[in-house]
Amino acid sequence: MELAWYALLGLFFATYLVLGGYDYGVGLLLARGATPQARRAALNAVGPFFLGNEVWLVAAVGILFGAFPALEGELLSGSYPAVLGALFGVVLVTAGVQLRGRPRSAAARAGWDRVVVAGSVLAALGWGALLGALLQGVPPSGDGHGAGAGHLFTPFVAAAALALLALVAVHGATFLTLRLPAADVPSVARLARGLVPAALTAVATVAVLGLLSDRVRAAVARPAVAVLLPLALVAALLVARAALRRGRAGVAFAATSVALALPVPLVGAALWPRVLVATADPGASLTVADAAASGPTLALLGWLALPLVPALLGFQAMCWWVFRGRTDGRAPVYW
Amino acid sequence: MDPLLLARLQFATTTSIHFLFVVVTLGLVTLLVGLQTAGFVTGKPVYERLTRFWGQLYVINYVLGIATGIVMEFQFGLNWSGLSRYVGNVFGAPLAIETLVAFFLESTFLGMWIFGWHRLRRGVHLALLWGVALTAYASAFWIMVANAWLQHPVGYEVRDGVAHLTDFGALLTNPTLGFAFGHVVSAALVTGGMLMAAVSAWHLIRRTPDFALFRKSLRLGLITAALAVTTLQGFGFAQFAPVGELQPTKFGGGADRDALVADWTARFGPGDYTPPVLSNVGLGFMIMIGFTLGCVWFLLPLLWRDWLIRLKFPLWLVLLAVPLPFVAVILGWIAREVGRQPWVAYGLLPTGQAVSPVSPGLMLTSLIGFSLLLGTLAVTNWVLLARHAARGAHDPALGRPPAPDTDHHPHPVFA
Repeated sequence: MELAWYALLGLFFATYLVLGGYDYGVGLLLARGATPQARRAALNAVGPFFLGNEVWLVAAVGILFGAFPALEGELLSGSYPAVLGALFGVVLVTAGVQLRGRPRSAAARAGWDRVVVAGSVLAALGWGALLGALLQGVPPSGDGHGAGAGHLFTPFVAAAALALLALVAVHGATFLTLRLPAADVPSVARLARGLVPAALTAVATVAVLGLLSDRVRAAVARPAVAVLLPLALVAALLVARAALRRGRAGVAFAATSVALALPVPLVGAALWPRVLVATADPGASLTVADAAASGPTLALLGWLALPLVPALLGFQAMCWWVFRGRTDGRAPVYW
Repeated sequence: MDPLLLARLQFATTTSIHFLFVVVTLGLVTLLVGLQTAGFVTGKPVYERLTRFWGQLYVINYVLGIATGIVMEFQFGLNWSGLSRYVGNVFGAPLAIETLVAFFLESTFLGMWIFGWHRLRRGVHLALLWGVALTAYASAFWIMVANAWLQHPVGYEVRDGVAHLTDFGALLTNPTLGFAFGHVVSAALVTGGMLMAAVSAWHLIRRTPDFALFRKSLRLGLITAALAVTTLQGFGFAQFAPVGELQPTKFGGGADRDALVADWTARFGPGDYTPPVLSNVGLGFMIMIGFTLGCVWFLLPLLWRDWLIRLKFPLWLVLLAVPLPFVAVILGWIAREVGRQPWVAYGLLPTGQAVSPVSPGLMLTSLIGFSLLLGTLAVTNWVLLARHAARGAHDPALGRPPAPDTDHHPHPVFA
């Protein structure tokens, strides 16, 4: 029962990283000094999906609170600076994207675009830092013992944050090759290919720092899974690069989506059965089973989720289907 | 500084800003459903124009509802980890249900509604707005279930210091739930109705074009506000009996309170178990505003032969009344929430035990950062709302038909 809920939590958070990931990737790319029309076109490529993307985060935290209340409190308060940064970023992006089209002046819109860029950077760095922090162990505070925030500031966590930023940038550019009008694709595809080496370097740096870090080695229960993670990311990025060169936008987007989704299940599996690892005092670690809500709560939520999750996926799929294909002159312009 | 105080200040700030936007969301979406359904049934273009104009304001307002809502959801874990540790098994369930049943679908539907004009069949497009409205009400309901549980914990048992769920049905029949939900929904309808009436009144005072359009929304707004203010008062006063019985410390003294305080002193040790005086003051002012808003009934006879518009001064009254519902919802929130202090879950978990063991510096950074961010966004949002309201219904961006010459795909995509 706990495993099923843990998997569902992972599904929602991984989907958020894939879907929110291209929101932030497209947001980042607003910084490359394109014309106002190009920036508007990029945001309207995200357009109809934007509101449906960030809800995956809200739902993931809802599941976290409902099914793993102990984990919710310990994880969020124990990784305070990372969560704070990510949350700041999410709020900036959500307000910036939705409000940037409302003022008529070009200067105001450019100002909102800077808000979106800053928010995208913060969100990507924050979630990357959180995943890195999990891998090197977030010590649970127990009853009344202050956890502090110092444990977060390590080279490994910083590298993980930068790696997610690079992955998100590649993912956003790849998404645009899938959605923009065919005439605009070659330049974005070049950009996406150019970003791949940066992402590869970032992933390699995380891998090396992880191998060197005592805390990461102590926290990881399944080294094979942990080693698989950077290898799989490198493979996905290389596939994406090859597909972009051949003009196969769908394959490339599938590959970058895999790159954003994979860290969640693999971090979960590498730490299993623990989730918050106290490297200094292994006995104090929090396991998934300990973190889960008690039986009646999980049963209640389970009966609810059984019909609900397919419905949620169905309505999201409806949104993807209705607005599939490339944007063109007919596409509604709202953001 | 005391982390408890900082955490409470941050929760109060975020929730107050959140509340100011979500009452408008809930009120306006109800009116929008009416407008778009009327347009669908009658086929009159004025309803489509009304839907686009009010829909645009609704969508701008919605942005801050989400932004503050996300911060609130995370705040439970960031600042109040004790809440999830001791009562998360029970309190977490309605919140999880809210995100999955309500908010997830609400936003998904809304994204399709915004971008679905001229692309989806009209029936599908209308159904999406109904979906947005129903999930918005579901959202309010589940949040009130969670809040009612904090007011009056039921359906649980404590084992090893942690609350476990025993009877979910008790959460739904919580005596602090039903009337309060009706009260909040009525407040949202009053706010939405007054806002609609006031924006229309402004245009009628300025004699902008679109007399017929704003006359219609003035009438709709006023009638909605009048009907809702009556249920608002009813649900408000109906709460005194259950609250007085279940929360004797909230609104004053008596033997019940003394007995309860004696009981708490025996179980939790001596302490100050009376809520700050702020809650009662807030309640008094809120009731005064409620009666003032009730006077909207006196304006209804003036709708006959448009005397309301011809006399002009009643339009000014409507315009000036717009801040009142917003002040009242904040005061009502203070009465309900500050009134249950010093408990986060009444009689079960003291607020001090729920706060996260986070350093005061970090908590202060978070408080200042988010207060500035959300405060700035709220003001910016109101400025944008006012500008769009003043711009009129000439050509809102929402639902603007796409350029006709590139139309290679004339059929609705979703059959």
